[in-house]
Amino acid sequence: MTVLPTTLRPDEPERLVRRRGLSIGDPILAWLVRILSLAALIAVVIMLVQTAVDAGTLFRHENIVEFLTGLRWEPSNLIYGALPFIYGTLMTSIIALVFAVPLSIGVALLIMEYLPHRLSGPVAVAVDLLAAVPSIVYGFWGILYLVPAARPIEQAIASSPLGVIPIFSGPAPGPSYFVAGLVLTIMILPIITAVTREAIAATPRLQREGAMALGATHWEQIRHVILPFARGGIFAGIILGLSRAIGETIAVLFVIGNAPHLAASIFAPGYTLPSVIAAEFREANQPFHIEALIALGVVLFVLSFGVNVMARIVVGRFERRAGGADVR
Amino acid sequence: MSVDSRLLRPTAPGRRAVDRTIFGLCILAGILALAPLGAVIYFLIVDGLSAWSPAFLVELPGPITTPGGGALHAIIGTLMMTGLSLVIATPMGLAVAILIVEERTSRIAPLVRTAVDLLAGVPSIVVGIFVYTLVVLSTRHFSGFAGSVALAIIMLPIIARTSEEMLKIIPRSLREGTMALGMARWRALTFVFIPTIASGILTGIALAVSRAIGETAPLLFTALGSNFVQTDFSEPMNALPLYIFQNAINIGFPAAKQRAWAAALTLVVIVLLFNLIGRWLASRATVRGARS
Repeated sequence: MTVLPTTLRPDEPERLVRRRGLSIGDPILAWLVRILSLAALIAVVIMLVQTAVDAGTLFRHENIVEFLTGLRWEPSNLIYGALPFIYGTLMTSIIALVFAVPLSIGVALLIMEYLPHRLSGPVAVAVDLLAAVPSIVYGFWGILYLVPAARPIEQAIASSPLGVIPIFSGPAPGPSYFVAGLVLTIMILPIITAVTREAIAATPRLQREGAMALGATHWEQIRHVILPFARGGIFAGIILGLSRAIGETIAVLFVIGNAPHLAASIFAPGYTLPSVIAAEFREANQPFHIEALIALGVVLFVLSFGVNVMARIVVGRFERRAGGADVR
Repeated sequence: MSVDSRLLRPTAPGRRAVDRTIFGLCILAGILALAPLGAVIYFLIVDGLSAWSPAFLVELPGPITTPGGGALHAIIGTLMMTGLSLVIATPMGLAVAILIVEERTSRIAPLVRTAVDLLAGVPSIVVGIFVYTLVVLSTRHFSGFAGSVALAIIMLPIIARTSEEMLKIIPRSLREGTMALGMARWRALTFVFIPTIASGILTGIALAVSRAIGETAPLLFTALGSNFVQTDFSEPMNALPLYIFQNAINIGFPAAKQRAWAAALTLVVIVLLFNLIGRWLASRATVRGARS
C-alpha cells in the first residue's frame, strides 16, 4: 500500500478537473461499467438464493439436523445423510495438509534461500506448473499409476504394528482417503509454496544481516528471523491450500474409491462432498436425490466460504502486523 | 591480553550438522514436490504420444470398443464454449475492475468487490450447481450456453482481479497528464490507461483461459457432453475435459484408455501453452515508471 503524500483523496484532483462533464462519453462509460458490474452482482445473488431454495426443498422431506448428522446415504431408500461426505472432505484435506505443509515450506526455502539464482527460477516455474495441470489429468493419472503405487505402502502400514490403530487399519484395497490426500497434496503444494515464497521475500534484510553478524548459521537465520516474520503469510497460504483441497472434485473422484460410508481407516475407500456430487448428479433419479446433492453443494459452499473468511481475517491480521514491524 | 579463544572458534559441529540436515531436507522436499510433475509429464509423453495422432484432432470417436477415433467434437466444443465465456467474462471483469478503481465513490463498488471475491473462492463443482439451478433448470435443457456461463463464472474473478491490480499501478504522472490535457475520463481510460496496461489485462485473460479450459466439474451437468459435433449453443456440447472424463471412467476398454491419454496430452499442451503465454505477457507487463 502506498501512502499518497497529499491530504486530498486520491480521486479528488480528477473530480475538480472533470466536474464540468466535458463529454457525454463519461456518463455512458460510468453507466456501462455500473450495469455490467451490477449484472455480475445480481447474477451472484440470484444463484445463491436459487441454490439455497432448491436445497431447501429437501428439508420438506428430511429435517436439516438429520441431514447433516445422518450416517447413511441410501438414495434408493430415500435416506440422505451428509456426514460420511463431510468427514471424507475433512479427512482428505487434513491428510493433504499434513504432507503439503512441510513440503511446501521446504520447497519455498529451497527456492528462496538455498538454490543459486540460475536454478531457483526454473524450479519455481516447475512448481507453479503443478497447479496448471488440469485436475482431470491428475485423476486419470492417479487411478492408473498412483493407486497401484500406493497400494503396497498402504498394505504394509496396515499389516505392521501400526495397523492396530484404527486410522491405519486394513484392509487396504487401494483407492482411499489416503490416496485422495496424496493427489490433493500435489494440487495444493504450489499454492502454499507461492504464498510462502512471497512471505519469505518480505522478510526485512536488517534483521537477517543482524543474525548473520551474530554468527548465526543459515538455518538459525531461517529459524529465528525468516520463519517468525513469515509465519502469518505461511498460515495464509495453508488456509488457501485448504480451501482448494476442500473444493477439489474430479481428481479426488477417481482415486477415493467412491463408497458412501464413514470409515475410520484412512486406507478405506470413501467419498468427499464434491466427488459425490460429481458422481451422482447426472444419474440422480430418486425423489429428492438432486435436491440432496444440491444441499451437499450448499454444505460445501458454506465450508469453503468459512475457510475463505478465515483466510481473509488471517491475511488482514498478518498485513497489519507486518506493517507495524517493517522497519526499513 | 589474549582474545578469549571461545570467540574465535568455528561454528560448533552440532549447529553445523543441523544446518546441513535442514539443507538436505529442503533438497528432498524439492525432489518430492517435482517428482509428481515429472511422473505426470513422463506418462503423458509415453502413453499419450503412442495414442496420439494428427487424426485425433479431426476425427470423431467410434464405438467405445473400437480403437482409434478422435475428439473433433470435444475440441470444437472446448473452443466454442471457452470463446463464449471469454465474451461474457472479459467485459464484465474489466467493468468490475474499472468500477472498483476508477469509481471509488460508487456505493455498489464494495458490494461488487465482495461478490467477485466470493466467486473466486467458490469450488468449481458448486459453480456447476449454481449454473444448473440458474440456467439449466430455467431453460429445461443442458446446453453449451450453460457450460459457457459456468466457465465465465470461473474466469470472471481472475480477469477482474488482474485488471484491478494493473489499473491500480497506473503511474500518477500518467493520470495527471491526461487531466492536464483536459481529456474526458472515458477518453483517458480507453485511449491511454487501457492500452498502457493491455499486456496486464491479457495476462489475466490468458491465465483465466488456462484455468477454465481444463475444468471438468462445472461442465458435468451444464454442458453435459455429446457424441457428435455440436455448434448450436442451445444443445449439449462436449469439451476436452469431459471427453477425458467419459473415456477415463471406462478405462476397462483399451480403446477408451487410449483416447483418454491422447485427449489428456492435447489438453495439457493447450493449457500449458496458455499458461506460458500468460507468464510471458506478465513478464512484459510492467508499466514504465509505475512504482512512483
